[in-house]
Amino acid sequence: MRAQTAVPLGRGRFTELGLLVWVAAIAITGFVAVLATETSSFRPTAVVVPLVFLALMLSLHVFLVGIRFRGDQVLLPIAAGLTAIGLVLVQRLASDLLLQQLSWSIIAAGAFAATIVVPRDLTALARYKWTWALLGVLLLIAPLLPVIGREINGARIWIKVGPGSIEPWEAVKILLVIFFAAYLEEYREVLSHAQRRIGPFPVPPIPYLVPIVAMWGIAMLVMIFEKDIGATTLFFGIFLAMLFLATGEAFYAIIGLGLLIVGGFVAYQLFGHVQARVDTWLRPFDEDLRFSTGYQLVQGLYALANGGLIGVGLGNGMPDRIPIVWSDFVFDAFAEEAGLAGAIALLALYLVFLYRGMLIALRAPTMFLQLLAAGLSFIVALQTLVIVGGNLRLIPLTGITLPFVAYGGSSLVTNWMLVGILMRVSQVSERMRGGGGPS
Amino acid sequence: MEITFAVLLWGVRILFLVLVYLFLIRVFSSLQRALATENAIAARPTGLAHLVVQRTVRGAFRVGDRLPLRAVNGLGRDAGNDIVINDEAASARHALVEFADGEWWVEDAGSTNGTVVNGEVVRSRERLHFGDELAIGRVALRLEQ
Repeated sequence: MRAQTAVPLGRGRFTELGLLVWVAAIAITGFVAVLATETSSFRPTAVVVPLVFLALMLSLHVFLVGIRFRGDQVLLPIAAGLTAIGLVLVQRLASDLLLQQLSWSIIAAGAFAATIVVPRDLTALARYKWTWALLGVLLLIAPLLPVIGREINGARIWIKVGPGSIEPWEAVKILLVIFFAAYLEEYREVLSHAQRRIGPFPVPPIPYLVPIVAMWGIAMLVMIFEKDIGATTLFFGIFLAMLFLATGEAFYAIIGLGLLIVGGFVAYQLFGHVQARVDTWLRPFDEDLRFSTGYQLVQGLYALANGGLIGVGLGNGMPDRIPIVWSDFVFDAFAEEAGLAGAIALLALYLVFLYRGMLIALRAPTMFLQLLAAGLSFIVALQTLVIVGGNLRLIPLTGITLPFVAYGGSSLVTNWMLVGILMRVSQVSERMRGGGGPS
Repeated sequence: MEITFAVLLWGVRILFLVLVYLFLIRVFSSLQRALATENAIAARPTGLAHLVVQRTVRGAFRVGDRLPLRAVNGLGRDAGNDIVINDEAASARHALVEFADGEWWVEDAGSTNGTVVNGEVVRSRERLHFGDELAIGRVALRLEQ
């Protein structure tokens, strides 16, 4: 009876398939270039890993077509493209970790598929918001606990699971975005239409301010005890961005930034690790830092300079001069070998990801879904900004991963789940717009 | 022999960069196409419901007019609205009627004289049931299938 509302989209996912072909080409040429440089000859074995990865991506595509998924068709290829570049860089920078990273990408694909299928009703997530908040805070403080917590490279942000260790922060960021979205949807009115005003500033009833202050407190706690400045910035940044999106009150953002600056300043005065980070950022070339704490950053800057416009060629640079290059400095390594041209293309991919995510947010039917999509896209954007800014010495360096590209399992899995949720949100809007409803 | 290998290798490296850019261009153009399609969908009537004019003023509708609704509909005096209400008592952008979560909703868009459903003023966003009467200025509209 609603035949006139037949949906023109969604019969096939040809856009997605077409884009994945390009991802295939990128992955294969990347691996061939790196391995040919290493072995001084073209060998057919170079295409094995990219083909395994492409089979994985293709199976995700077939899976989406199979369940008649009607959401976005661009996010999966972008994420696949970034992950492929990531695999090329792991092969280049730490080839002994390649199999691990490939296994992680298989797990990530599984997690993505699960996210697409499992929460039957995305809006229902909002009902359990306090559960997510509690779970998030527990995971956040878990690394501080004596038995399971682990300190690696000066930051106490890992927990031990079996033989390896995972970074709970990665999962926390998604949980927190779900919580913020649900919380802000419910209290948006109270927060944005405050009855009392002091001058131009709205003053909402005190109880509603508690979560904001609590968030700040937790963020500061993370900075002090887990020594993770990156997570703090990300955590508080997401919260402020979502608060601003929900209420439209610049006042909250200004107050929040003020709190962050004050907190940062106090932390700088009190804690050695924060001081070291800032000093390294301001004067990495100084005699006393050049070969100690500043060494990594200085080598990164040399790599950038060495890259030039089109780079020294994949496999041809000296990125191994940068300590821990595969997790902290992949951007500099890529910029050295693919040059400014490659680096800009990489950043453009993140930009397109953000653009797509924000479009999904704009089109989402409810406030919760809008905030969810916006918050999740913002995580990827802010994370990229913080780590690339750190690698370029625009801001103090922090140990955040470059989404999809940097080596690291927890990060890859959660980022793919994030893509899954974004695609689910786009599907909800698509169904609503189609008018036919779920058939 | 050595030279040809080096040249080939450089070819592959440059090809990699070119491919990344071609991929980017493809992504941009498919985003562009998706935008165009989605706008077309948004502009299409949903075929789900109509607003039927109950009361009107001179120069606006006639009683009994059936106005088809889209997924999201702007109501007001401004010509940019989906449903233009030619009444001085209506604000330029008066209200928003939209279909979300399988329900119809009405939201006042900050109008001067307010939006009234079944005699009650709409605060923020409210459910709209079939048979409800929506009053904007001196015009009254009933939601019908």
